[in-house]
Amino acid sequence: MTTMYEEQYVWRLPVRVYHWINAAAITVLFLTGLYIASPLMSSPPGEATWYHGMAWIRLIHFATAFIFIANFVFRLYWALFGRDNYARFAGFTPWKPAWWGQPFKDQLASYLFIAKEEPNYCGHNPVAALTHFLFVFCGSFFMIFTGLAMYGENNPGGFIDTLFGWVVLLFGSSFAMHTVHHLVAWVFPVYLVLHLYAVVRHDVVDKSSVTSSIITGYKHRVEQCPELFAD
Amino acid sequence: MSAKGESYAEILEARGISRGDFLKYCSLLSVYLGLSASMVPRVVKAMETKSRIPVIWLHGLECTCCSESFIRSSHPIAADIVLNMISLDYNDTLSAAAGHQLEAVRKQIMKDYKGKYILAVEGNAPVKDNGVYCMVNGESFLSVLKETAADAMAVIAWGSCASFGCVQNAKPNPTGATPVHKIIRNKPVVNVPGCPPIAEVMTGVIAHYITFGSLPELDRLKRPRTFYGTRIHDKCERRSYFDAGMFVERFDDEGARNGWCLYKMGCKGPTTYNACSSIKWNEGTSFPIGSGHPCFGCAAPGFWDNGPFYTRLADIGFVGTDSTADKIGAVAVGGAAAGMAAHAIGTAVKKARDSKPEPTEVEEG
Ligand code: HEM
Ligand code: HEM
Ligand code: SF4
Repeated sequence: MTTMYEEQYVWRLPVRVYHWINAAAITVLFLTGLYIASPLMSSPPGEATWYHGMAWIRLIHFATAFIFIANFVFRLYWALFGRDNYARFAGFTPWKPAWWGQPFKDQLASYLFIAKEEPNYCGHNPVAALTHFLFVFCGSFFMIFTGLAMYGENNPGGFIDTLFGWVVLLFGSSFAMHTVHHLVAWVFPVYLVLHLYAVVRHDVVDKSSVTSSIITGYKHRVEQCPELFAD
Repeated sequence: MSAKGESYAEILEARGISRGDFLKYCSLLSVYLGLSASMVPRVVKAMETKSRIPVIWLHGLECTCCSESFIRSSHPIAADIVLNMISLDYNDTLSAAAGHQLEAVRKQIMKDYKGKYILAVEGNAPVKDNGVYCMVNGESFLSVLKETAADAMAVIAWGSCASFGCVQNAKPNPTGATPVHKIIRNKPVVNVPGCPPIAEVMTGVIAHYITFGSLPELDRLKRPRTFYGTRIHDKCERRSYFDAGMFVERFDDEGARNGWCLYKMGCKGPTTYNACSSIKWNEGTSFPIGSGHPCFGCAAPGFWDNGPFYTRLADIGFVGTDSTADKIGAVAVGGAAAGMAAHAIGTAVKKARDSKPEPTEVEEG
């Protein structure tokens, strides 16, 4: 255990930039995605060549998708090779029973009001790490694979179709894949609710400035910093 | 069976079809097959010299719409050639012979042309309870299929039934209806889905075999790329309305009268691979979308389970209800928000209780 009273630099600039690109991309992807599925507006009568409403929304979805993918790949790189103690994957070892041990239980107990103590972490607490893994990591992976498989359909036999076309077979048909891409899209708003609540709550309860930390990089008044992830 | 061994050209000549018409037919066929103009002579040569291939055409769990489509091949002389192109030696719905006589024919072909005939299958086989749900001549269709496939050169699965299962294997699939390629695993199988497939596509697949002596290039779902390489949406005449965002909202609205895109009426064109929007139906007259009806994806695997036909989003069976992805998602977000609200109240209560004896939050944590 380390004890700290001072402000602490937790999120380095690349992580912060990543975070806001990611947040913006997810928001745009979700909204344009829903629009693609049920285009609310219909263009006024006229010639089809006058309008490009749907084409634009789709283009925005696809262009944002590639930004989202690049950003995601960068975050993977940063997690694996970045010299960053807080944004690494190194400590995230859910396949080891030890990971599910005391720190995880303590955090969960505190979230469930079983324990009085509120553990405080500089980086991610283990429950947060698990939520991130399930929602953000797996969710993004899923959206990227199904998304690219659908995108490949625009040019059958092309580069993307060759690389990702097999994904369609996992779902039986292209339509079924659209349905799951659409269903899993909802993982992100669910995550957002949990995420924003957790962030605000940590601020209120332990005043660790999580909210501003993702802009400034600093967390405050972190009293105890159990070295959970030290091997 | 007397005509077996004759070439296609000879047969056509015997039927009084002129050389000019024959060449026209060959060019048309090359176009359907997606071949370049320089390949036309090759098609002509194949048609002139190669002898007809014997075909056994079996019917399993099906409605015979594939046969109906096949005999309506549109090109004027194609209508004639179709039935002559192949020597259709066994077809329980089209043959003059019936009963034991017909079964004897099938056995004879299997013996005489061992490893040299094509097996065309219309419909699929129910495999549950040893296949009793489809019996042909006292035998289960499952065993007839296996027996006939054993010595076939290649197997053509006609239609969505044979290719993917169609309505017979829609949930809950009570008879265990199974598409052909899942039963016959040791022969080349080509899937020609559609309910029914387009006649020209059916002829085209056979013509390819005759011309090149092999099955056409197939995609991941074993469909010929030439015909199933792109989605209906990609070549749809209403596509510009899709990109413009001009959609039919009701079947009798202004948009419907003006031929706008049917996406919001549940059109499955964007996810269905078939040649309807390019080759069309009934001598190139029209196709469902051309006539103002959304495509319901009859050539796509599992299309019966992706209903309803007239809405964009599928019903998803979710804890016993019919929901859409959006309803499930909205409920999940609502649930998460409610859970968080409850948790916030819990936090407040806990804080209030904890801070009673000593109101210092600093110690916490
Ligand atoms: C956070 C991530 C994403 C979200 C929330 C999202 C959301 C959606 C939604 C709701 C749809 C409509 C599905 C339907 O009902 O047919 C959709 C369609 C689509 N998405 Fe995404 N998507 C995401 C990422 C991606 C990625 C990374 C790609 C990769 C290129 C992608 C490519 C596509 C394509 C090709 C379509 C089909 C468009 C069409 O049929 O016209 N998406 N997306
Ligand atoms: C006031 C608003 C927000 C604050 C204070 C905040 C704060 C944070 C913090 C501190 C982290 C951990 C940083 C990291 O590990 O990279 C994080 C991660 C994350 N946030 Fe936010 N966030 C906010 C809004 C959003 C929004 C609007 C979205 C998405 C629409 C979002 C999506 C994410 C995601 C996906 C992660 C996981 C990043 C990762 O892979 O590590 N956040 N957020
Ligand atoms: S009618 Fe159907 S296939 Fe044609 S453009 Fe619209 S959605 Fe696509």
